[in-house]
Amino acid sequence: MALSGLQIYKLLPKTNCKDCGYPTCLAFAMKLAAKQASLDDCPHVSAEAKEALSAASAPPIRLVKVGTGAREFQVGNETVMFRHEKTFFHHPGLALRVKDTEDAGAVAEKVKMVNDYSVERVGIEMTFNAIAIENASGDPGTYADAVKAVRSQTALPFVLMSDDVDALKAALDVEGDHKPVLYAATVDNWEAMAGLAKGKQVSLAVRSQDGLDELADLATKLGDAGVEALVLDPGSRDLGESLAQVTQLRRLALKKNLRLLGHPIIAFAGEVADTEEGEIVATTQFIAKYAGIIVMDRFDPAVAYPLLTLRLNIYTDPQKPISVDPGIYDFNNPTADSPLMTTTNFSLTYFSVAGELDGSGIPSWLLICDAEGMSVLTAWAAGKFDAETIAKAVKTFNAGDKLSHKKIILPGHVAVLSGELEEELPGWEILVGPREAVDLPAYLKQL
Amino acid sequence: MPVTVEIPKERWTGSIREVTLGATAEQGGTRAKTVTVGGETTLPFLHFEGEMPHTPIVGIEVQDSYPADWSPVLLAAWGDVLNDPAAWAKKAEEIGADVIMLKVRGADADGNATSPEQAAAVIQSVLQATGLPIIVRGPGQAELDNKLLVAVAEAAPGERLALGLCEDKNYRTIVAAALAHDHLVVASSPIDVNLAKQLNILISDMRLPLERVLMDPTTGALGYGIEYSYSVMERLRVAALTGDGMTQQPMVCFVGEESWRQKESRTAEGVPAEWGDIEKRGITWEIATATALLESGADIVVLRHPETVDVVHETISKLMAH
Amino acid sequence: MEETAKQPNHGAIVVFKPSGQVVEVQIGTLLSDAAVEAGLSLNLPCGGQGRCGRCRVKVEHGDVSHRSAARLTTAERQEGWALGCQAVIKGDAVIFVPEQEQVEIEFVTKTVGAERIALAADFKGEVDPSVRRAYVAITPPSLDDQTTDWDRLLRALSLEHGIREVGANLATLRDLARDLREAEWSVTAVLDMGDPERDTCARPRLIDLLPGDQTGRCYGVAIDIGTTSNVVYLVDLVRGKVIDRASAYSGQIQAGEDVISRIVFAQKRDGLNRLQKMVLKTLNGLLEELTSRNQIPASQISKAVVAGNTTMIQLFLALDPKTIREMPFIPTIGQPMAVTAEELGLAINPRATVDCLPVVGAYVGADITAGVLASGMHETDALTLFIDVGTNGEIVLGNRDWLITCACSAGPAFEGSGVRHGMRATAGAIEEVWIDARTYEPTYETIGNLPARGIAGSGMIGLLADMFITGIVDKAGKIARDLPTPRVRVGDHGGEYVVVWANQSGIGTDIVINEVDIENLLRTKGAIYAGFTVLVQSVGVELADVEQVFIAGAFGQYINIEKAIHIGLLPDMPWDRFHYLGNTSALGAFHSLVSRAMRHEVFEIAQKMTYLELSADNTFYDRFMSALFLPHTDITAFPSVMRLLKEREG
Repeated sequence: MALSGLQIYKLLPKTNCKDCGYPTCLAFAMKLAAKQASLDDCPHVSAEAKEALSAASAPPIRLVKVGTGAREFQVGNETVMFRHEKTFFHHPGLALRVKDTEDAGAVAEKVKMVNDYSVERVGIEMTFNAIAIENASGDPGTYADAVKAVRSQTALPFVLMSDDVDALKAALDVEGDHKPVLYAATVDNWEAMAGLAKGKQVSLAVRSQDGLDELADLATKLGDAGVEALVLDPGSRDLGESLAQVTQLRRLALKKNLRLLGHPIIAFAGEVADTEEGEIVATTQFIAKYAGIIVMDRFDPAVAYPLLTLRLNIYTDPQKPISVDPGIYDFNNPTADSPLMTTTNFSLTYFSVAGELDGSGIPSWLLICDAEGMSVLTAWAAGKFDAETIAKAVKTFNAGDKLSHKKIILPGHVAVLSGELEEELPGWEILVGPREAVDLPAYLKQL
Repeated sequence: MPVTVEIPKERWTGSIREVTLGATAEQGGTRAKTVTVGGETTLPFLHFEGEMPHTPIVGIEVQDSYPADWSPVLLAAWGDVLNDPAAWAKKAEEIGADVIMLKVRGADADGNATSPEQAAAVIQSVLQATGLPIIVRGPGQAELDNKLLVAVAEAAPGERLALGLCEDKNYRTIVAAALAHDHLVVASSPIDVNLAKQLNILISDMRLPLERVLMDPTTGALGYGIEYSYSVMERLRVAALTGDGMTQQPMVCFVGEESWRQKESRTAEGVPAEWGDIEKRGITWEIATATALLESGADIVVLRHPETVDVVHETISKLMAH
Repeated sequence: MEETAKQPNHGAIVVFKPSGQVVEVQIGTLLSDAAVEAGLSLNLPCGGQGRCGRCRVKVEHGDVSHRSAARLTTAERQEGWALGCQAVIKGDAVIFVPEQEQVEIEFVTKTVGAERIALAADFKGEVDPSVRRAYVAITPPSLDDQTTDWDRLLRALSLEHGIREVGANLATLRDLARDLREAEWSVTAVLDMGDPERDTCARPRLIDLLPGDQTGRCYGVAIDIGTTSNVVYLVDLVRGKVIDRASAYSGQIQAGEDVISRIVFAQKRDGLNRLQKMVLKTLNGLLEELTSRNQIPASQISKAVVAGNTTMIQLFLALDPKTIREMPFIPTIGQPMAVTAEELGLAINPRATVDCLPVVGAYVGADITAGVLASGMHETDALTLFIDVGTNGEIVLGNRDWLITCACSAGPAFEGSGVRHGMRATAGAIEEVWIDARTYEPTYETIGNLPARGIAGSGMIGLLADMFITGIVDKAGKIARDLPTPRVRVGDHGGEYVVVWANQSGIGTDIVINEVDIENLLRTKGAIYAGFTVLVQSVGVELADVEQVFIAGAFGQYINIEKAIHIGLLPDMPWDRFHYLGNTSALGAFHSLVSRAMRHEVFEIAQKMTYLELSADNTFYDRFMSALFLPHTDITAFPSVMRLLKEREG
């Protein structure tokens, strides 16, 4: 169980020596509780304390690394049921499935598309993460050749899918050094699979055909056999049942501290659905709810882009101040003659100003500056909303191009900036608006 | 030795209020049927630990005049009915709406302001065109909303319309209209658990029963704050199930409006090739937004594209099957 | 920009009316700076940011340019009104300066406040100040014993008192030969023994040499530099008693009412030095008052211990506070080294040590470490919450094992800023308000029983509480406009409630509270309450676990607990858990002055205190939002208020 800051503090030396890099033992303890510091930073901690603390600080869901090199990705290490409780740490890897029965040219085309696909959003490059290769032929030789061929086309990590140990063995012989995920150990083949995974030091997926009891049973056996890195497939291919299963798995790991089920989950969106739309729905659900690897059967940029965007959104750290994107926002269809106001990107600041502007019915522009998500006075106090910031935003977003005039209205709370802003923005007239958003409509009317 | 895993169930102490939209002739209205949402005693679709007595429902957005500002994808999908709110509502009912969400714009496409009389007339024509319960929203400007929504409320007494948006700025007027003419309200607050709860308290202090309050915690579309809506809704739902009486309202999400006003669902030209086809992209945008919000607690999703309506219906029925 | 080179070779002549002062300044000088040069003092409560509009002057002739005129109406601008801090001199000008709101020197409520201070001003522990006096009768020199004067003194101190390794500065040495002989070799040495526990190299330092045996008396001062007011205790170091105290509003108020404004002011030309001079002027004035009233020469004051918030300490030492304001909010020093009074210009014995108490962080200063010391919370087992309500709300939670602290920028609403008719607790301020639930008519008390001029912080709490309980405002702080009373009406800032009609007020206009005022009050109380909840949550305890709440700060002692709970400023718990401590900052400085053990303890407290930076994540914001409601979004946390509201509804 996670310990509170005070509980950890009681185990620390309480000397406030600062050797850990924090001003007090309590500050360090709170960082430990928040998992933002490592116990190793304290050179004076006793052996007993260390033991007690490391047991408490072990991640409830194991971290699993997939692949090697630049395209390696990590899943697991999650600590909460809901992102608002802290954050979700490692976003699920998205994989596209190909089969060794498909035409080689068609496979190569799909692999190339996934391999090359990269789309940018808010400065972040978003990509797919893996190729799943299924041994549909049932023939180990065909499978190994297919794996080898795909490897020659991409550096993406693989999920190797076959229930046939020989097929996976053959594939591993050509792919073993690239740390694929083996899919999957079942009640029928787990012993041989365990040997295979252990020998090549790769992670092993385990699939239950009969719910969580079988999954737990298999996981226990594989653990006993010495396979550490597991990926769980609880088995259901029903949308609702899958939701229940992944929720139960996350709860068992986090709330019941059931280590044997504390592993990332693999989900098959394409198997849950029989249409493209259904696959979109299933992938959406698995991104939101607890999957570590999601295998899809279709790839289309028009679908990939929204789904990658969703993944980016859900895995954003909610502890950061809620902010809106800097930029120029318009209200009531403004024209070049409409007034331009500015404020910070703190969400509530934005919402109160936007609400008043929207509600006033007066056409207007609003320039949102990047003040690190702080409100006007806080940002000003911290030096994050000054003449320089505003001038930079005016230039970055080409505010002048939208307007026939050169006037900008400052929030009344930072009237003090008007002088400096005049210097930063030569040729602009700096007006000072009201201090409270609620007074904006009246102010704009008399303008 | 066979392993038995004890299925982890939360012992929730609270439940979501049941809210019924619409009133039949017997109940003092003219609706062919009513629709009830809420009543959950667990998180969305977790049937193994609690009840979801009512299926989440789909609303379709209808506007009182031609929505010239809509995405070309939508304009093409709907065609001519967009010119006639009554025809539009009828069509919406045909393609599977559980409720109609009528948006009264402040002005028509030519910029002529909507009068209270016009608002009253349009609600009456939509009431005649469809037997479904109706959510009515004003243009979103507090003063204008007050004027138009009060006219709508008066024109349809006893119909149990859901009047929105009822915000901290204008809740007194909207709630008074709901009380006087026997309607519901859609309590709307900007993506914040506390603000949502505060508004419910203020509304309840005016003696409107909470069985007549839907909650709109503000929808952020995919790419435009969906994560905030998602988490605020999860927090509200967890608080509600934990017994916090002022967060136990069913939630409504205006998914279509938010999804379809973004660049990603409107713009075909001059965007990166990686964005793919505009129509599929736009629909996916709406499907993904709706699905994620249903999974975080939406009881009503209001949509715009007919294809999304089908997909979301199917999704809900899959998630409700158990 | 307009061409300004019409008068290339000389500055501008500015005449100030009605006083008639004339001053020549450079073109481009700020009007407020010109006023300073003319020896006038314009009030700049916002620190010269153009935010408050209190420095307005009328330009009768001549040319000024306006950087901002946010607080002026168009009509006023046309009449020639300008903001002193925002108007730039463009040429010769005649400026009319209206009568400035007087910054009052005395606390009108001083006597009332003193009675309410719960902690006694006597020190109960062992009196052991670092300053001690040692009388020595020295054998005069002779041809047989030509030991130097200094060594002779040292020998006597060592033999008779065991005091060794004494140091002195050159000025002391220059007077030594004369002092010893004039005193005929019987002298009392005044020594500062330093703090050997903190500084192992500490050596006793000779501060003064007095003729004869003067060991019966020894004086020091404990100083509290507040943002709003400064307090000096004159202390008898022999008996460990406060002899007298004096207080005054900070001279820095003219440079801004809150610390941020002062920090901004410090960045102006010569701003830092001007601020240091302002605080010294205030303190030296208080010292002069104390020494003359008690007939003790300033040179007899051999030590000063200083508490104050981090910014005040840095300004006192003229350390630029710029980095306190900017992320990541870093003070220059935690435990400042001792300096002499001479170096600072403090009007006590020039060789006396001035010892500033340690600070913890940018917004948790020596006022709080001193406060914790005085409160004794660091040596109790009971989980204790310590609150200092001021412009910043500082909060400490803990007990003998641990201490955690945070500061929330509460804003100066309770001190009169940001509230239209808010004012500090001076003559004519409404201190208490009650509202009749049937008629909505108020009853109030003012300080000095004078016609009301405005509303003090305690009055605002009472007013808001009763407006809420009587239903004049709803839980969101909005005024119910349909009430059957002329006192509720719609003004420039939405709904407002008239507390005092113009014909009964001391300012000739109605005194009102409006919705914007209430919003500011909600923010202030919300920030403080959010601070409590974040602190308790951060260490994993509950507010209900708190066994005692100490309310510190000069303002704190006027808070009506019941009404503060009604508005959700204080947690809803039995009243007997709340204790007023008064000015714990000054008290802690006093204790540190009379006891080296206590001085050491305050150092340890600062070492031990964990500073929680509230801007680091959005937990605080969330708590803050839930506290922006009356009494709170989670009303179940306020059962007594719930009961009251139920009763009201009948």
